[in-house]
Amino acid sequence: MSAGSSTGETVQQRLVFDALVVGGGIAGLQSAIELGDQGYKVLIVEKAPSIGGKMIGLSKVFPTLDCSSCICTPRMAAAAHHENVTIFTYSEVRRTERAGSRFQVEVVRKPRYVHEADCIGCRLCEYACPIHVEHEFEGNLGARKAIYVPFANAIPQLALVDLEHCVFCGLCEKACPTHAINFLQQPEEIAVEVGTIILATGYKMMSPERLKLYGGGRLRNVLTSLQVERLLAPHGPYGRVLRPSDGKAPSSIGYVQCAGSRDQSVGVSYCSRVCCMYAIKQAMLLSGSLPMVDITIYYMDIRAFGKGFEQFFQNAKAMGIEFVKAKVGRITEDENQNPVVRVEVMEQDGRVEERKHDMVVLSLGLLPGWDPSGVVPAEIAEDGFIRSADPLLAPARTTAEGIFVAGAAAGPKDIPDSIVEAGAAAMEAAIYLRRNGSSSNGDERAVNEQAAVVAQGRG
Amino acid sequence: MSKVNPPNEKPANGNQQPKVGVYVCRCGGNISDVVSVEKVAEAAGQMPDVVVARQNTFMCSHPGQQMIVDDIAKLGLNRVVVAACSPRLHELTFRKTLVRAGLNAYLFEHANIREQVSWVSKSDPEGATAKATRLVGAAVAKVRLSRPLDPIKVDATRQVLIIGGGVSGLRCARDLSQSGFRVVLVEQSAALGGRLTELGRLYPVQVEAREVLHSLISEVSRDAAIQVLTSAEVTAVSGSIGNFSVAVRCAQQETTIHVGAIVLATGFDTYEPLPGEYGYAEFPEVITLPQFVRLLEKQGPSDGQLQRNGRPVKNVCLVHCVGSRQIEGIHQPGPDGRLHEYCSRFCCTAALQAANEIRARFPAVNVFDVYRDIRTYGRGHESYYEQASKQGVIFFRFLAEQLPQIRRADADGSALVVQVKDTLTWGEDLEIPADLVVLVTGAVPRDLSRLIDMLKLSRSPDGFLQEVHPKLRPVETAVSGVFLAGGCQAPMDVGESCTAASAAAARVSAALLKGYVELEPFAAVADPALCTGTGACIEVCQHQRAISLVDVMADGVTLRRAQVNPALCGGCGMCVPACPHGAIQVDGWRLEQFEAMVDAIAADY
Repeated sequence: MSAGSSTGETVQQRLVFDALVVGGGIAGLQSAIELGDQGYKVLIVEKAPSIGGKMIGLSKVFPTLDCSSCICTPRMAAAAHHENVTIFTYSEVRRTERAGSRFQVEVVRKPRYVHEADCIGCRLCEYACPIHVEHEFEGNLGARKAIYVPFANAIPQLALVDLEHCVFCGLCEKACPTHAINFLQQPEEIAVEVGTIILATGYKMMSPERLKLYGGGRLRNVLTSLQVERLLAPHGPYGRVLRPSDGKAPSSIGYVQCAGSRDQSVGVSYCSRVCCMYAIKQAMLLSGSLPMVDITIYYMDIRAFGKGFEQFFQNAKAMGIEFVKAKVGRITEDENQNPVVRVEVMEQDGRVEERKHDMVVLSLGLLPGWDPSGVVPAEIAEDGFIRSADPLLAPARTTAEGIFVAGAAAGPKDIPDSIVEAGAAAMEAAIYLRRNGSSSNGDERAVNEQAAVVAQGRG
Repeated sequence: MSKVNPPNEKPANGNQQPKVGVYVCRCGGNISDVVSVEKVAEAAGQMPDVVVARQNTFMCSHPGQQMIVDDIAKLGLNRVVVAACSPRLHELTFRKTLVRAGLNAYLFEHANIREQVSWVSKSDPEGATAKATRLVGAAVAKVRLSRPLDPIKVDATRQVLIIGGGVSGLRCARDLSQSGFRVVLVEQSAALGGRLTELGRLYPVQVEAREVLHSLISEVSRDAAIQVLTSAEVTAVSGSIGNFSVAVRCAQQETTIHVGAIVLATGFDTYEPLPGEYGYAEFPEVITLPQFVRLLEKQGPSDGQLQRNGRPVKNVCLVHCVGSRQIEGIHQPGPDGRLHEYCSRFCCTAALQAANEIRARFPAVNVFDVYRDIRTYGRGHESYYEQASKQGVIFFRFLAEQLPQIRRADADGSALVVQVKDTLTWGEDLEIPADLVVLVTGAVPRDLSRLIDMLKLSRSPDGFLQEVHPKLRPVETAVSGVFLAGGCQAPMDVGESCTAASAAAARVSAALLKGYVELEPFAAVADPALCTGTGACIEVCQHQRAISLVDVMADGVTLRRAQVNPALCGGCGMCVPACPHGAIQVDGWRLEQFEAMVDAIAADY
């Protein structure tokens, strides 16, 4: 591949796997584990520096209120330790070409500017670095350094340099006990051959900047739902729930549902499917950590459709969380930066009211995480998510043979549905592999085992 | 059933002086907000044979596990205790950690200081810390006496039983067959297809249900690896994962089949409204959505007029959430005494699909839609709602506290009147004329009591079959080797059922693929030196043929002695107190371990 060398990238390896899973969030991890458990060799390519996706940043998850880390970290560890699963983090799929029933894939490993084999994750570099940067993992509410391990339970535990903010002071280099830091590291291009591909590229949140009527991201005490997840996480940025402008514990919180979903004015006509439930969950958790707080959820329809969800919603109502049927028209703020929401109170007399809260949370909708165009030959549908070829009998099948889809890459989806769909995508991929002559080493083991049994005369 | 490997003799690391490492998890605050994990770790450090005691934010994370691996290498630990969440969540995680570090998996003990301590003792941090310390003490006392054990390996049959021949069962059968398994598909009715045989066009792609079924059924019928038994039912089940024996009655004949796993694809029932509920069975003009779908099916495309019983229908009123989202004190429980508190998931979109079809085919017919929340959550579903609004379906919204009432119309015109307190018009009391009232009924759990008893399954509070954990093990039941596919677990639409069925197939495949399964080694072991052959253990044994008396030769004399087949033993321990000589013990849970644990719990710290 000469194109690689001309851009200064080094071509070193050619690897062969049964399956490529694009995305190392919960759906991708589950797909990889399911395929690995069936004896197939799997490569996960994750663009972020750690696997875990969106789920690892959540506090607790509905409807069981398990802590998210308690479910997600062991899945991350199980994939990382799986004998059949290889993981490339901080890497991206650049190009895919079909070769018969198989695929030739170009993967680029982005430079961490830290030599991965030498980094021991001790974080001494991080402690030495003098630069503080808003931490994406904490919803920009906390800070990280310009060299940092992504977060406490990241996999892998490797530091990376954020060159955009690094001032090249060299303090990290001096602090590193293994001399792992290398500012000259180059992207590494890897050629991979796989038998099948699962797209588990997830979602991204609607950007509050696009919601002009809701302050366009400029109102300080209007938070996004992912920021509140971090506020509620026991190891979150403040260690408790505070509002950003003045550090006050809010005594009145409003939730604005369908912020960027079911709203054609921002080009999103679909329901994002998880926002009702995460808002109810956050309201319950907030009631737990702020016992005196009043919480109002402004909604169009409450969509508590999954197993145990309606009961969860009714519990929230019984806890005193107020549900107001209204589409919030506008959010402004008063002189003390208290957000003010403008609503029509439909269930009473239809009057238009301005209601003041200490803090408002936008229940942001879900947008496609990745567009495969030009990279992987799978189509997207009108909603921007990966198109399913057969939404009835085989929702995990894309329009491209041998390429499957799992989780929110095929439309907004909660964690239980994503995990089940990951199992289905893995099943489809395994069948595709079998049909095209790749037998898993599980099968080989079984064949050997049977041969051994026969040899012992047990048949 | 042949055992693949003999029980392992004690490997080297079992007989050494115990060196215990104790790891106390903060669980990111779940534990440490209540329990002083530092104090627990400090106290653990003083316990006998404890070489190191540490704490960490998430022991289950990679750094947490790596800490154990490193300590085993550096400090020569040969026993490990982790004090964290419930062992149901992470015992397996840490057993695997030990294996990676070269230790036997069963030299691990898990102390539950989250569910059993921090979550239930929030108001008493000191007491919680003391209790956590005692539980850790007990775990240390037990693990000091642990011996290395190996999982019991048993040959597994590469054949799977699927109960239910609806879309989930068919889809699962096809996936398993294509993965190299033989499948027996048992359907209680005379034909395959299940609920789908009653449906018309399916959202979100507007394909006829019968076309979807036809392709799937023909694929399954052609498949030599799938044996379909219709008009058949399962009458008895014995055995365990890898080796179930299932008695199936089919055409007055009972046959026994051997399978490695069982998939339940038994589906759900549709809700049958109670007599008088919204006028059902009281007024002939009140029917359910499935009945209405059949009515639409029968109606010719060129009729131009919607008719029922020969009479033209001008106004149709749909009432949502009939038999779903029920609330105590408002709704009446059904004949089973059960309220259906859950949302049935598919009925909103199905109802709107029917509403749109009426408006498209019979533009003169008015459609009124009386709902609580419109839950068109799925991909492509919202467009049914948009289309309904555009096509002039008129929506009214009621609160559960103010259910719509249905009565005969006083004057001429429509037959019935639906009274609604409509929150969309600020609580206006409205009267809707209706020639036909369609009750949008949802899903209810099937009566599976015989299967549930046979397989020892559990139900969720909603009455559907319960998975082990909705996120960790969503298609498995607590009974190893028994899986769930589709609507028996929760209301699901066709796409969701197929997805669940494939996910179940993936789990079955992973479980049986190797041709053997590994069972927990916690089986009873009889000591021939102490046993006198009383047979008392056999009398109390809960598992068929797990213990037998066999002849053994000792000093030239033939003696009758108890012997346990570990593959059949459930490890329940019933035999232990029954033995007058203390000759039988359960591996991994020996009496001396219990005694040590009790002593440790009662000790001073």
